[in-house]
Amino acid sequence: LKREIKKIISAVWVGIICLVFSSRLSTMKAASICPNDQTGCHLLPLANLFDRVIQHSARMHGISDDLHSEFELYFLPSKNQIGRVSRNCHTSTILTPNGKENAQRIAREELAEIILKLLVAWRDPLWHFHQSMSQHDEFTNFSSNKSLEMSDMVHELRKGVLKVVEKMQMLGIISNSVGDTGSPEALLTSDSAEWRFMKDYDLLYCFRRDSNKIQNYLKILKCRIVPKHGC
Amino acid sequence: MAVSLSYDLLLLLVISSLDWSSTPGSAFLTDHNRMTSSAPVEPHFTECMSRDLETFRCWWSPGTFHNLSSPEELRVFYLKRNSPSSEWKECPEYSHLNRECFFDANHTSIWIPYCLQLRGQNNITYFNEDDCFSVENIVRPDPPVSLNWTLLIVSPSGLSYDVMVSWEPPPSADVSTGWMRIEYEIQYRERNATTWEALETQPHTQQTIYGLQAGTEYEVHIRTKMKGFPKFGDFSDSIFVKVTEIPLRESAVLLTLVLTFGVAGILILIMLIVVSHQQRLMMILLPPVPAPKIKGIDSELLKKGKLEELDFILNGGGLGGLPTYISDYYQDEPWVEFIEVDEEDADCGEKEDQKSSDTQRLLGLPQRSVGCFSADSHPDDDSGRASCYDTDLSEQDTHLLAASLLPGQPEDEEAFLHPDEKAPASETNKSPLIQTESEGKPTWINTDLYAQVSNVMPSGGVVLSPGQQLRIQENTEKESQKKGTLGEDTSKLNKPQFQLLVVDPDGSGYTSEITARQISTPPSSLVPGEGYQTIYPQPMETKPAAPSEPNQSPYILPDSPQTRLFAPVADYTVVQELDTHQSLLLNLPTQQPPPPCLPQHPLKAPVAIGYVTPDLLGNLSS
Repeated sequence: LKREIKKIISAVWVGIICLVFSSRLSTMKAASICPNDQTGCHLLPLANLFDRVIQHSARMHGISDDLHSEFELYFLPSKNQIGRVSRNCHTSTILTPNGKENAQRIAREELAEIILKLLVAWRDPLWHFHQSMSQHDEFTNFSSNKSLEMSDMVHELRKGVLKVVEKMQMLGIISNSVGDTGSPEALLTSDSAEWRFMKDYDLLYCFRRDSNKIQNYLKILKCRIVPKHGC
Repeated sequence: MAVSLSYDLLLLLVISSLDWSSTPGSAFLTDHNRMTSSAPVEPHFTECMSRDLETFRCWWSPGTFHNLSSPEELRVFYLKRNSPSSEWKECPEYSHLNRECFFDANHTSIWIPYCLQLRGQNNITYFNEDDCFSVENIVRPDPPVSLNWTLLIVSPSGLSYDVMVSWEPPPSADVSTGWMRIEYEIQYRERNATTWEALETQPHTQQTIYGLQAGTEYEVHIRTKMKGFPKFGDFSDSIFVKVTEIPLRESAVLLTLVLTFGVAGILILIMLIVVSHQQRLMMILLPPVPAPKIKGIDSELLKKGKLEELDFILNGGGLGGLPTYISDYYQDEPWVEFIEVDEEDADCGEKEDQKSSDTQRLLGLPQRSVGCFSADSHPDDDSGRASCYDTDLSEQDTHLLAASLLPGQPEDEEAFLHPDEKAPASETNKSPLIQTESEGKPTWINTDLYAQVSNVMPSGGVVLSPGQQLRIQENTEKESQKKGTLGEDTSKLNKPQFQLLVVDPDGSGYTSEITARQISTPPSSLVPGEGYQTIYPQPMETKPAAPSEPNQSPYILPDSPQTRLFAPVADYTVVQELDTHQSLLLNLPTQQPPPPCLPQHPLKAPVAIGYVTPDLLGNLSS
C-alpha cells in the first residue's frame, strides 16, 4: 500500500511539474504577443535580452572592481603606474569611442563589433590570470574564486552579445556584417603575446576599465535600438 | 613565469614602500589626506571631479611660494595618454577666480588617462605623476532632486510608522540613455541627534524607511554614486518627516494587551493550584464511596466465612472484646461509620409506643405494636439490625417476647406474668407487676418475660418452649378468668409481649456458645453480671404444692443442679441480687414446670437467647 501511495505521489509531482513548465512556456509565448503597443511589440524579447546582457556585464564589472581594490590593498602601487599602464593595455589597439557622443555617433554595427572584440580579447588573458592566481598562496580563496568567475563571465557575456546581435540581424535592425567571430580573433591572436608580459595588477586595471566600457556600450546600444523599454 | 611574477611582486613591494614615504604631491585620486607640514608647498592640484561623465574640472592651489604675484601666472597643462605621441596642451577653459580648469565634453575622453601639470613663470613645471587619472574614476554624481515622503502605514499601537521616500535622479546625470548608472543612499536621523542612520545603497528612485517613532521629527537626505565606482556625491537638501501620535488607539491596544496577559496569568495560576492540590481536590470532588462497616463485624471475616470467630467477636470474647476489636480494625479509617442498631424508630416518637423489638423484626414476626412500623421500614432481617446492643435496646423492649412463637400462640394478654400459683396471690403478685409495669419503665429484673428457645424453624423463626411460667400462667389465667379480673389485668398487660430477649449487659447481643456452656455449668460458676442465668426450675417442685406461698423464696436451691440441668429449662429469671451467702436472689422462687414438658424438651444445655448458632441448634434439636 505504501508503495502505491508513493507511486501516486510521484506521478502527481511529475504532473504538477509538467503543468508548471507548460504554463511557463505558454506564458513565454504569450509574452511575445504584446497586447497594447503593436509598433514596438516585436522588440520586447530583444529588450529583455539586452537587459540580461547588461546585468551580466554589470556583474562582471563589479567583480573586476573588487579584485582590483583587493590588489591595491595588498600591493600599494605607486601612482605613476597609471600613466605607465595606459600604454601597456593590450586592448588599447582597439579603437573605442571615448565619450558618450562618440558612442552615440558611431554605427550600431560598429558598436556591437567593438563590444565583441573586447570580449574576445579578454578571454585568454583572464584564464591565464586565474591560473596564476590559484598557484600563489598569498591570494585568498575569495580572490581565486572571483578570478574564475570573471573568466567564466567573459565567455558567457560573449555568447549573450552574439545572441543579441543575431536577434538584431534577424529583426533587420543591423546589417549582417557583424558577427564574424573568426576575423577579430585572428586579428588579436597575433598581438596577443603582449598580455603575457603584463603584470597582474596592470591586467586587473585594464580589465576593470574595459568591463566598464563594455557595460556603457551595451547600455547605449540598447537605448539606441529599443529606447522605449526602460531607458 | 611564476618566478618573474614573484620578482615583480617583490619589486612592487619595495617600490611602493619607497614611494609611499616620498610622495609629496596631491593624491586626490585616492582621497588621501594631505599632510600639512611646515615645509614650503609647491603649487599643486587639489581636486579633479566629474559630475556627469562627460565633463570634468580641476582645482589647483598656488602653495606657499611667494614668488607668485598673480594667480594668472600658473598655467595648467594636460596630457592625454591615448597615443605615444601626445603632447601637453593647455587648459581649455580657465576660471581664475576659482582656480579651476574646466574641461568640456569636446576635451573629455573617458577611459583615457589624463595627466595634469602646473607651469609657472620661466617654464617652471610642477608636475606630479600622481595627478594622472581616468575620468570615470573621478565621477561624483549630483544629489537627487525633488525629495518627498508619504505615510505608508501606522502600527496598531500608534507608536511607530513606515514612510516611503521618493525622489528624482539628478538632472545632470544622463540616466535615461543609460550612460550613467546611479545608486542612491538614504540617511536619516532624529532632529536633534548627531549620528545618521544609513540604509543600503540601491538604484531605485524610492525607498521605505521602517520603524519611525510617532511624535518625533526626522531629517532625511540622499546622496548618489556611480554604480561600480566608490566615490559618493554630495548630500541633497534635507527633508523633514513627522507623524503625530494617536493616543486613543495606543490606550486601547494597551488595554487589550493588559487584559490578555492578565487572563493568561490567572489561567496559569489556576492550573498550578489544581496541579499542586490534586489529591485534595480529588477528595473533594470525587469522595470515596463509604463501604458499609458494621460495628463489630469485619467484612473480611464474613468473606472468609468464619462465623465462629464472628460470634466470638460479637460476644466480646470477654466482654471487652468488641470495642478493642473495633479499634484494631478501624483505627486508621476515621470515616468509617458504624451502622448501629437503631431500635428507636423515628416515626414512633415515644418509646413507650414501641411494640415490636429487634428480635421481632429479625424474626420477621408480625408486628404486634401499632403504629410504629411501616411496611417498608424494616424490610428484611439484614437491614443493619444484625447486632442488638444492650445499650441500644430500651428497657421496655425487654418486655416483648416472641409470643407468637410459643406453641400456643398466646395472645398478648398472656404475657408472662409474675408466676403466681396462687390465684389470689397472683393477683396480688400481678399487681406489683402491674405496678412495676405501670411505673413506666419496668426493668427486666421484675419481669419474667423470658422464653427459652426450643427450636429454630427453617424459615428463620425461633420456637420457644412454652415454659413453666406460661403453663402456670395459663393455669392462673384460667383461674383469673373465673374471677374475671384477669381481663383487666391482662389488658393492662398488653404491652409486654413475648420477646426473645436479646440482652447483653455489655453490649454484645448474643450469648455465645461459650457463655451458654457457662450458663449450663453448675450454678457455682455463675458469674454475676453474666447475661442470662438459667433459673432452674427449682420451684418446679414447689409450685404445685405451694401456690399459696406467701413468700417467694428468692433462693435457688443449689441442691439439685443436675436435675435442673437436665430438666427442660423453660424459664429464665433475672438475678436480682447476690445475698451475703453468695447465692443469687431471683424473683421467681416458685415455679413449677409442668412435668409433661420435661420429656419434650430434653435440653441439655441452655440455649442462648437470640440467634442460635448451628452448633447450638444441633444441641437443641437433639
